[in-house]
Amino acid sequence: MNDTNASPVLIIGGGVAGIGAALDIAYCGHAVHLVEKEDILGGQVARLDKLYPTDHCAFCPLWTDIKKLREHPLITVHTSTEVKELKREGGLLHAVMVRRAPVIDEGLCVFCGKCAGVCPEAAIETSGDHVYPPTYLVREEICNRCEKCVKECPTGAIDFQRREETSELMFDDVIWASGFAEVDLSPLPEFGLGKHPDIMTAMEFEDWTAEAGVNKGAIIKKSNSSVPRNIAFIQCAGARDQRLLSYCSAVCCMHALKQAQWAIRRNPAVQCVVFYTDLRTVGRDYYEYSLRDIDGSRVRLIRGRPSLIYPLPAREGIAVKFENTMTQKREIWKFDMVVLNGNIGSSLKEKDQEKNISPALSGDGFVNPEADEISRFSCGFSAEPADVAESVIQASSAAVRAILAKRKS
Amino acid sequence: MSGTGVFLCSCFGEINRVIDVDSLQRKLEKNPSVVSSSVCESLCLAADVEKTASRIRESGLERVVIVGCSHLGRGGAVVDDLVKQGTKRSAIGLVDLREGCAWIHQDDPVKATEKAWDLIRMEIAALHYRTASDDVTVSVCPEAMVVGAGPAGLSAACTLARLGFKVHLVERGSNPGGMLNLISHVYPSDEKAPEKIKVFSDEAEKNPLIHFYPKAKINSITGFAGNFNVQVSSSAGGKRLRVGAVILASGARVWLPHGLYRYGKLKNVITQMELERQFIKGPREVKTAVFIQCVGARNHERPYCATMCCPSSLKNAVRIKEENAEARVFILHRDIMTPGGVLEAYYRNALSKGVQFIRFEETNPPEILGAEHVEGVEVFDSINGMKRKLDCELVVLSTPLIPNDDNVKLAGMLGLQVDRYGFFSEIYPLHPLETRMDGVFICGSARWPVSSDNAIVQGEGAAAKAAALLGTETVSALSLSRVPGEKLGHASVNAETCTGCGNCVAVCPFAACRLQKMGRKSISRVNKLRCKACGNCVSVCPNGTVQLPEHDYRAVAAMIKQAFDEEMVL
Repeated sequence: MNDTNASPVLIIGGGVAGIGAALDIAYCGHAVHLVEKEDILGGQVARLDKLYPTDHCAFCPLWTDIKKLREHPLITVHTSTEVKELKREGGLLHAVMVRRAPVIDEGLCVFCGKCAGVCPEAAIETSGDHVYPPTYLVREEICNRCEKCVKECPTGAIDFQRREETSELMFDDVIWASGFAEVDLSPLPEFGLGKHPDIMTAMEFEDWTAEAGVNKGAIIKKSNSSVPRNIAFIQCAGARDQRLLSYCSAVCCMHALKQAQWAIRRNPAVQCVVFYTDLRTVGRDYYEYSLRDIDGSRVRLIRGRPSLIYPLPAREGIAVKFENTMTQKREIWKFDMVVLNGNIGSSLKEKDQEKNISPALSGDGFVNPEADEISRFSCGFSAEPADVAESVIQASSAAVRAILAKRKS
Repeated sequence: MSGTGVFLCSCFGEINRVIDVDSLQRKLEKNPSVVSSSVCESLCLAADVEKTASRIRESGLERVVIVGCSHLGRGGAVVDDLVKQGTKRSAIGLVDLREGCAWIHQDDPVKATEKAWDLIRMEIAALHYRTASDDVTVSVCPEAMVVGAGPAGLSAACTLARLGFKVHLVERGSNPGGMLNLISHVYPSDEKAPEKIKVFSDEAEKNPLIHFYPKAKINSITGFAGNFNVQVSSSAGGKRLRVGAVILASGARVWLPHGLYRYGKLKNVITQMELERQFIKGPREVKTAVFIQCVGARNHERPYCATMCCPSSLKNAVRIKEENAEARVFILHRDIMTPGGVLEAYYRNALSKGVQFIRFEETNPPEILGAEHVEGVEVFDSINGMKRKLDCELVVLSTPLIPNDDNVKLAGMLGLQVDRYGFFSEIYPLHPLETRMDGVFICGSARWPVSSDNAIVQGEGAAAKAAALLGTETVSALSLSRVPGEKLGHASVNAETCTGCGNCVAVCPFAACRLQKMGRKSISRVNKLRCKACGNCVSVCPNGTVQLPEHDYRAVAAMIKQAFDEEMVL
């Protein structure tokens, strides 16, 4: 069933959903192009420290899948690439894609790290310890173009003169798998985001505490690097809220439970409280996950939506004002850290619809599959709030639907 | 010239700024079993790999040791590229001197060099005894068996048939539809359940590629990815099927709440499924109804949320309100489980229709009032902290789905695992429709309770996975993992020394080892296509009869000898 002569399928987004869909299509014998705007594949899952409910590390299975993807002859990967134009022309999709100029050529990089060693601005970092292929990346917003690294590189992999490449390709169809993005919480000032360094969003907390992240798994405060005595996890921050996101973001309850349990596991002295509305543990082994005892202590669950979160004077910590709806008591508790969970939405932008590089979107920002021809196939957070397992299931389904549409035409 | 060649990489100084690579090479030159050794600045650039490969070919080297960086660095890629250029995977050894030696021991170059020398000679010694597993290639039967004709199974079967594959759809009941036959409408679309099935069952009937086996029972499944042999008995008699892939979509069943909330004692205490049956018969006017959630779920015995009970109650509560806008309908819950956008909107809709929600605690469940018939429900509303008495004439208990009893039997036939409840286990969350047996896929509530819509999506996904296998002409034991070199081999048995003790059969998690009569004795045989090279059998074999050729016990012994002997013995 090889019909490689036909036009390939285009997948937008190189996270778990996009990778899954690309592999399924290629294994069924069809050509596929995967476009990812970042320099590396893996999407948001590459940022996640552990995956619930197994608590296994996310990197290894992801690494294996990315390796399979990179080696499959029917799959073309375009990293650092954005689609600038997308339109139907005579039954096919015409796409204009622009690839940012790579400063370090991953084919020539031997991962020796000499460039990072000489960089005076610390602008060169590894693509991540578990990224395939391993390479170094230049953070252009920090780089001062001293080009010391160019001279140091033994293989000539670094070149600041490379130019961006534009390519025009024809596709049969497009699958949207662009994942989630954090939604700006500034319309809801009561959460106090930005008012104290230790009030952060769940994804910021993930980056801050991940084993492969800046603090190598240590649970410390951003304000003074000391160990927090307690951490509050605030659920539905921005979600299930008519003022910002009316939907439930689906992944946050489990995400908070995971972060809280790992905080306790890494530092048994830390106390964690999750403030929730409904603890939505829908999924294989999720409810049991919420009941676990970690080193003799459990994550404390309090039903209530805090009405105000504010920094206390003289670096005394952060106050969380809430009503415990199970005891009907209004209280103010002091926390050292506050993690806001819920403000995540589809990364697809309404404004991109005018530029014809976005599918039709519903009011909530998710793909509306009935609206037009380029919006038929989507998976993961592009389609509906979904966690890793849901996203990859939807990806396989989207892949087979795209294959069937292709064979029909 | 044959023998071992050693290629040392200095990684542009990254290795030799700590480790004295030249001294290592001089030692290697003196060694009789090393026929060639060389040092270069890099081994991983495209031109280097070409050069190494041609040197291997020209010198006719039997075995190659690459001394450079780690597998996750560039070492793995070098090995892969050499395999592509024609060197056998088992003939290549990789020694990590950069990440695992030079970088972590940079403050002690002398000891780092000593460790490097240990690592190199251990690898040379081990490589001497490594051989490749013999591969076996078989043709793939391009047909599939789908077990269960509920929404997941129907969706999987129709998708595979649309892709052009013949499908054997095996169903224990007499009609397709599964659980959809038992309900009136589906959430969240509120479509009529029979219409939802009809789309699929009509297609299954019309498509000549789909063979439906009603009232079927699976007696045995043997074989492996690409070639499963199945014995099925159905109303049409017994049949032997040969299929390339198996999709398990056998669904789940509803738990009955005997002994709880006076179910079975009071007439109007019914389960959600009984209410569905009443709705199938026609509209039912209800003045006051109370739905109780998590009956027999999220408790000590079944600590899981069965996913579909909250939306089902929302659906039926709204239905009652639509029949009779004056009806008083309460949902007593412990958390309303409506994640995502569509279900959250479904919940809001119920709220806007006037359905009332009361939260209770697991430790303080509602009580049914009434002596001969339901008069009301008393519940401690944990949100306003008050006991409430709700007059009602109907109590609907939302009970979870539980796994089918025969899951364990099916899993045993296929070498699969079931979880602690009895649902089929997946390999890991990133591959939720795949099992640890190649060629066997799971979807729908046989995997974990799901809505009919999600079951249909999962059926399509499982079909995509199966189609990838069915579309290939042949499958070989070593190619099953799809990454060249990832699966290093499989166990093999020395027929002469095997005593037939059966230890390996007992510990094999993939049902790959079995005893076979051979003359007067029984000996163990390994099905190479089922074997995953885990090595369990090797560890329990009393006399070294079962071996993984790539990790031969002599290779391990040689490494230990090198590590602890003063003299280098090759």
